[in-house]
Formats: sequence, C-alpha cells, structure tokens
Amino acid sequence: MEFVDIKKIIEDEAKIRSVSEYELYYAKGTSISTETLKDEISSFSSGADVGLCFRCKVDGKIGYAATELFEEEELRALVTRAAENAKIIEKTEGEIFAGSKEYEPLPKRKYIPKGAGELKRLALDIQKKTYGTDARVTDGTQSAAVTSYGELYISNSHGLDLYRAAGASLVYSMPVIKDGDESQSEYEIELYSDDTDIEALAVSAVKKTVGKLGARSIPSGKYNVVIDGEQMRALLGVFSPAFSAKQAQSGLSLLAGKEGEKVAADIVTLTDDPMREGMPFITNFDAEGVAAHKKTVIDGGVLKTLLYNLETAKKAGIESTGNASKGGYDAPVGISPYAFFIEAGDKSTDELCKLAGNGIYITDLNGLHAGTDAVTGDFSLESAGYMIENGKKTYAVKNFTLAGNFFKLLIDIVALSDKIEYGAPGSYTVIGSPAAFLRDMSVAGE
Amino acid sequence: MQRALLEEILGIAVSTGADFAEVFCEKTRNGSIRLLDNKIDAVTDTTISGVGIRAFFGVNTVFASTSDVTRNGLLACARSVAEAVGDAAKFGNVHLTEKIFPNVHPVSIVPSTAEMKYKTDLLREANSAARAYDARVSQVIANLITVDRTVQIANTEGLLTCDRHLRTRMAASVTAVENGENQSGFYGPGRGMGLETFELFPPSEIGLAAARQAITNLKADYCPAGKMTVAIENGFGGVIFHEACGHSLEATSVGIGTSQMCGKLGQKIANEKITAIDDGTIANAWGSTNIDDEGNPTQRNVLIEKGILKKYMVDRLGSRRMGMAMTGNSRRQNYTFEPTSRMTNTYIDNGPDKNEDIIASIEYGLYAKSMGGGSVNPLTGDFNFAVSEGYIIRNGKICEPVRGASLIGNGSQILMDIDMVGQNLDMGQGMCGSSSGSVPTDVGQPLIRVSSITVGGR
Repeated sequence: MEFVDIKKIIEDEAKIRSVSEYELYYAKGTSISTETLKDEISSFSSGADVGLCFRCKVDGKIGYAATELFEEEELRALVTRAAENAKIIEKTEGEIFAGSKEYEPLPKRKYIPKGAGELKRLALDIQKKTYGTDARVTDGTQSAAVTSYGELYISNSHGLDLYRAAGASLVYSMPVIKDGDESQSEYEIELYSDDTDIEALAVSAVKKTVGKLGARSIPSGKYNVVIDGEQMRALLGVFSPAFSAKQAQSGLSLLAGKEGEKVAADIVTLTDDPMREGMPFITNFDAEGVAAHKKTVIDGGVLKTLLYNLETAKKAGIESTGNASKGGYDAPVGISPYAFFIEAGDKSTDELCKLAGNGIYITDLNGLHAGTDAVTGDFSLESAGYMIENGKKTYAVKNFTLAGNFFKLLIDIVALSDKIEYGAPGSYTVIGSPAAFLRDMSVAGE
Repeated sequence: MQRALLEEILGIAVSTGADFAEVFCEKTRNGSIRLLDNKIDAVTDTTISGVGIRAFFGVNTVFASTSDVTRNGLLACARSVAEAVGDAAKFGNVHLTEKIFPNVHPVSIVPSTAEMKYKTDLLREANSAARAYDARVSQVIANLITVDRTVQIANTEGLLTCDRHLRTRMAASVTAVENGENQSGFYGPGRGMGLETFELFPPSEIGLAAARQAITNLKADYCPAGKMTVAIENGFGGVIFHEACGHSLEATSVGIGTSQMCGKLGQKIANEKITAIDDGTIANAWGSTNIDDEGNPTQRNVLIEKGILKKYMVDRLGSRRMGMAMTGNSRRQNYTFEPTSRMTNTYIDNGPDKNEDIIASIEYGLYAKSMGGGSVNPLTGDFNFAVSEGYIIRNGKICEPVRGASLIGNGSQILMDIDMVGQNLDMGQGMCGSSSGSVPTDVGQPLIRVSSITVGGR
C-alpha cells in the first residue's frame, strides 16, 4: 500500500471518529549487509521495513498507535487505539505542529546506493587486506560492508507535509590476532565513499589489535590520563541525556537551571548541528516537524541552552530548539542531539601525552550502558590503553577501571586535541569529540 | 500464513542452490505505559508485523526481511534470497507437516484485553509506594511493558509450527535528592505471563525496592578501589555468570573460533562448586519460550557440571559449524534480525555453602547486593559489570553502604575464583543485547563468594 492510500484511509477514519488534530509519521528503510569469514561471504542480509505512527490530540492530550501491517482494518483500528490511548495521558503540553515559518535549505549530500555485488566485493577486499596486513591475523576475523537508506514522511491535519531521505554505506574490519596463547580483537569502522582507502582501514584495525597484545595490569591509584577521542565521544554520548530539557524538567539532570552558568572548562565548546559537514544523515526538521538548526550548547565553558522539543519548550515558556526525536517510528517523542560535537582544541595527541608526563592513554571504556549513571554523572568503567612514560606512549595496559564524574570531568579538562573522532554516522545522532587530557583520575587495578 | 504460500516461498528460497531455507512470520503487539512526575506521561502501542526468510548453503547464510506481507511482497523477498544465494537452478519441492508443541506458559490476563485503568493503577501503586517511603524521593519513573508475540516458523525439513508468547514487566527508576546530590535506584521484575505478573510482584513492592536503593545510595560514600573478596547476592547477581561465561558459550562466538571457551568441552573450567544451567523451559520465566525462533522446543541445558564444561548453546548455523546438536537457544529480537544462539534463563545452581558462612568468612571485602548490567569480549573473556547497591564487609559483618563500584575480571579466571556457592538461588530479569537484537533473559544464582576480583571505585 502506498503512503497516499494509507493517508486516505486514515483521513476517512479520523473523520468518522471525530479526531480532528492528528499526524502521520511514516518511516521506510532499506538495508543490505555483507559479512565475511575466512575468504567467503558468510552472511548476506537485506531488509525492507516500513512503519507508521499515528499521533492525535484528543481533549488536549496526545495519543499514539503504530503499525507495520498495512491492511485497511488495521489502519482504521489505529485511529481508535490512538484516541483511546490519549484518554489516559495526564499532561497537556503536547502539540500537533502547524509548521515553522522557515526551513533552512538542506545542502546536497552525495549518496550513491551500493548494490549487493559491490558490497560483497568490498567486504571480501577488506577481508583480504586485513589478513594480508599481519601474519598473525587468524580465523574469526570478519569484514563487513553495509548500506542503509531511510525515508521519512510527516504529514498532519494542519496541512504540514515534510519529507526527508538519506543513506550511507559503512565498511568494517574486525581482525582477530593470535600471538602464542594470546588472542585479541578490535575493529575499525568508516563511512564509505569513493575516496575511502580500504587498505588504510585494514591496517588501522590490525594496528589497533596488535597494540593490545601483551597488555599488563597496573596498580590502583591516581593517574594523569589522556582519553582518546573515541572514548571521549562515547562518554559524551552516554551522558548526553543530561542536555535534554525533559530530563532537566524531571529533576534527572544536574544541568537543570544551569543555563548561563559555567559547566565546563574554558576550552570546551559543544555544538549541535543537524547539517554538519561530512555527516550523511542531515535534516532541516525534527520529529515534530519543527525547523532544525545549528546551536552552540556550551560556549567557552558556559552552558547556553539545553535541547528542547515542543512539550518541554512550552513548559519553559520558550521556543523549541528543534531537537524532537523518536527512538523508532513508534516511540514517543523524546529529545536527541544531531551532530553533537565537542569542538577540537589545539594540541596534537603527542602534545597531550607530553602534558600528561606520566600516566595512561585510554583507548577502551567498556560496559558504558551499565557502569554509568546519567543522573549523577558517576562512572566506573573497565578500561584499557597504554602507559604514558616521560610524555610518550609505551606498553599496553588493561584490567583496570577508570572512575569519575562526567560533570566534574567537563570542568577538569586541561587540554583538547586537534582531531575530532566521531561514531559511525548511521543515523541523525552522531557524537564527536577530540581527545582530552585530565589530571589525577581514579584508577582501580592490582 | 497459508501452508501453500509458505511452501512456495521455501521452494523459491532453495531454487538456486541453497540446501536449507526457513520462513519466520511474526505479529507482535508491543505496549508500554510510562508514569513520570506523578502523571501518565506516554503510551506506546505498536503492531510489529513482518517476515524473515533465511537460506543456508553450507555454513554461509542469506537472510532477507520485509514488512510487506502481501503475496507479492513475500515472493519478492524469497526471490531476493534466491538471487543472493546463486544462479544454479533446481526444482524446490517442499511439503510442510504442521506440528504443535505443548504450551507450558499459561496466561490468565492478556494485557491488551485489560482495562486501561487497571494498568495505570498498577503504575500509580508503584509511584505512591516509592514516594511514601522517604521524603527525599524526588522522582519516580515507572514503566509497564507488555509484549504479545505470535510466530509461525516453517523450514525445508518440513517443519511448520507456531507459538504465542507473552511477557510483562514493570521497571521502576527512583531518584532521591539531598543537598543538591542525586542518587538513583532501580527494580524491574518481569515474567513470561500476562498482568497476573503483579500478583507475584505487587507494584508497591517494586516502587519500594527502587526507592530503598536510591535512599541507601544517598547515604553511601564512594566505593574504595582495588582487589577484594566480594560476596555477590542472588537474583540479578547472576549477571556475573552471564557476562563472565555465558556469552562465551554461545555458538555465535564458539562456532567461528572467537570465544575463549573454544575446544574446552570436558575440561575443568570452573570451581567444582559450580554447576551452571541454561533452561528455556522454566514455566512463565522471563527468558522462557515454548519453542526457540527456529522452531525447536526449548531445553534445559547443563552447561557446566561441578566445574566441567558439558555443553555449548547451539543454534542451527552453529550446529553446522560445530558439528553439534541444536540446543533450543536460537533467538531474535524480531523478524528483521537473523537469529543466532542466545541465552534464555541462565543460572549458577545452589551450592554447598551456607549463606551466613559466606559473609562470615570475609574479613574485609564488598557485599554486592544489587547489580546493574555489564559486557564482555568473548574472545578474551574480559568482562565488567556494575554494582548498583553495595556494602563494605568488615570482620564477617555487612557494614556501611558504598556506591559507584564496578567489578572487572577475566571469565576463565573468575570461574575458578568463585570459591563459595550458597543456597538461595533466585533469578533477575534483564534485556540482553547481541547480534540478533535485544532479547529477554533471566540471570540467576545463589549468594556466591569470589575470592579476589578488581573492584573499580575511587
């Protein structure tokens, strides 16, 4: 069933049920993924998924119902379900949005869909190069190439009609290295374009893995640390809910009421940009249809704004920042950043190590979903990395935890590197950060 | 779906050289109601509907999923699988014989048929109890989550079967505040049943348990760091086995040689006090189902018996890779994921030690009463998990609370270091994430003692 036909049925049913204010949120996605084992494609998969969320306002309250089953009976039932669900809601701030005055024009992004054949060749090529990089690369090593494309339609009873589409291809090298009795694994992911250097991807993944061999334990204590960009952005990601106005208004964020106050070191600038250069998934509107735009969240250490959707903005008596999001097509409207980046500093990572003198260079923080508390900011995480001795990275270390508090960490950042690392840009939210140098962090080891 | 259409789909899927094909049809009703700030804040209500088609050729697989369940959509999906397998042409003739497995998970209140008020009252009860516990409770989020999943599975070996499975959970997160400092507590019990789950777990007790933990943490100082003897309590404490060993026994990693447990069948891998079991048959348990997502009945699998590794958890692909029988462990979040071997209800069985002796034996250490989640690298066995409520043990007595601790170690080492196993086996509920998505799993154990483990604190 096409979207126009779906709309007709819903419109008709809404009229019958006297539901006058409503929205259709219709998401379509396709993906292809290829994976290798040894010198073969071990797994090939493709998906084509469509979901519709019907959201309506009844007696001032918003109800939802969603489906993947596009049959007339189901679509008609959706209207009744959403209207019934609205009845039990006890807040009245939600809105079906009539539209922003202006939507910034979207810069063009090149997305050339990759076919199954090309992805298979690519995955096999990465696999071959990964094996070719080091004689210790062993079976269990996997490479992958995936492509995904998503479309979204938002159409509502106020006459708002918005559409966006974006896609990206990603390549992976996931080597397993066996050296004597020791095995190690790591991975490297990159956004794939015609300029991607597959060989460099494989070499980097293998280098990361080899670097973990022979890691030693270390004594507990206070250490100077350099947290690399990948781990800094992982920390920022897991604590990013603290920047949500919903969390703040619910008493679940220590940033609540701190707009205008200093919350980070002077050198920290944090921006949120739905159209950041280099990101394949860009947008000029959010999940409620509000225009999305770039904003500085922390400027020179001062918190400028939290992230708002319509509900939280109404509560605060301000405009939405255009950060409404949905975890899935069927999820309630929440709040997320877009490209949420701590901007680069002016030091090379070698210079950060020099500043640290003696300490640890952190390359791994594991169990982030468990060892962190977004409400308190506390974290205690299994870590690995390298010793820093006399300003230089030396031997690998592991089996220790790094503990601290994210909000204190923001204040305590001494220096930032000049290169930003960011996560695989497979969706509209991408977190990025440079490496950071911090003094005297708690480490638990031997 | 009609038998004839399934036969046609399977015939197409194996028409280009595949030696096996499977169709997985799903229709699931997911519901959630969230209470926040004393108000019903959000309701979701979703019909998940679609089909996953998979073909094997040797140990390689092709998988495609679609939410287009029209005849044309399904045949196109089957053809895309066939095209990806190869271009050989052979006539695929499939005959399906329907099989019905017994239902061991009865349900007395199907959530979608209960009054809305009945459901929202459950949340209000949890909210009121949490707030009444202590004036410092500043926020309560209570979520009622219900899943009603119907699956139909058919394959080229002639199997045609179906199952309906329900699960229900309430998760309460409580925040307490004092002098500008926040602390949190969580409790989230669930069962493979309907709303009668709350006859076993009255919502007031759920709210209370989460509030008690938040208030305890308010009183707690940071946990000291270093190697210690640790006593880990029952229930969700079993996450230690789940992370330290369970994942490394899944064919997902064993089958491709990326588990530290490869080639260790019959060997002593744990202290002889440890017998560990994965049992997907426990009536109405959170991680149970009648059949797994490949249509095999779930089983009780003894993984480790008195310290000796007896069995891995094996799905169909793993069975081909490893030459071992399937164990009823194939699972997937939904039809869009290719299934793989996963844990169900996994626990360390009761042991020989008295619980009071375990605490009394520790001169200085940590009593980890409640645990959060964790993660593991199955290749190296390095794991971590978080302690959400902990206390210092001094001279054999449980003393002051401490917060912010995590435990890290290596799976093969820790299994040897669990040197006392108590007698109060209980389970805790979690959602486990892996390559086939997020699936409900129980973890469990009695109180155990780990002679030495790194405690991450400050």
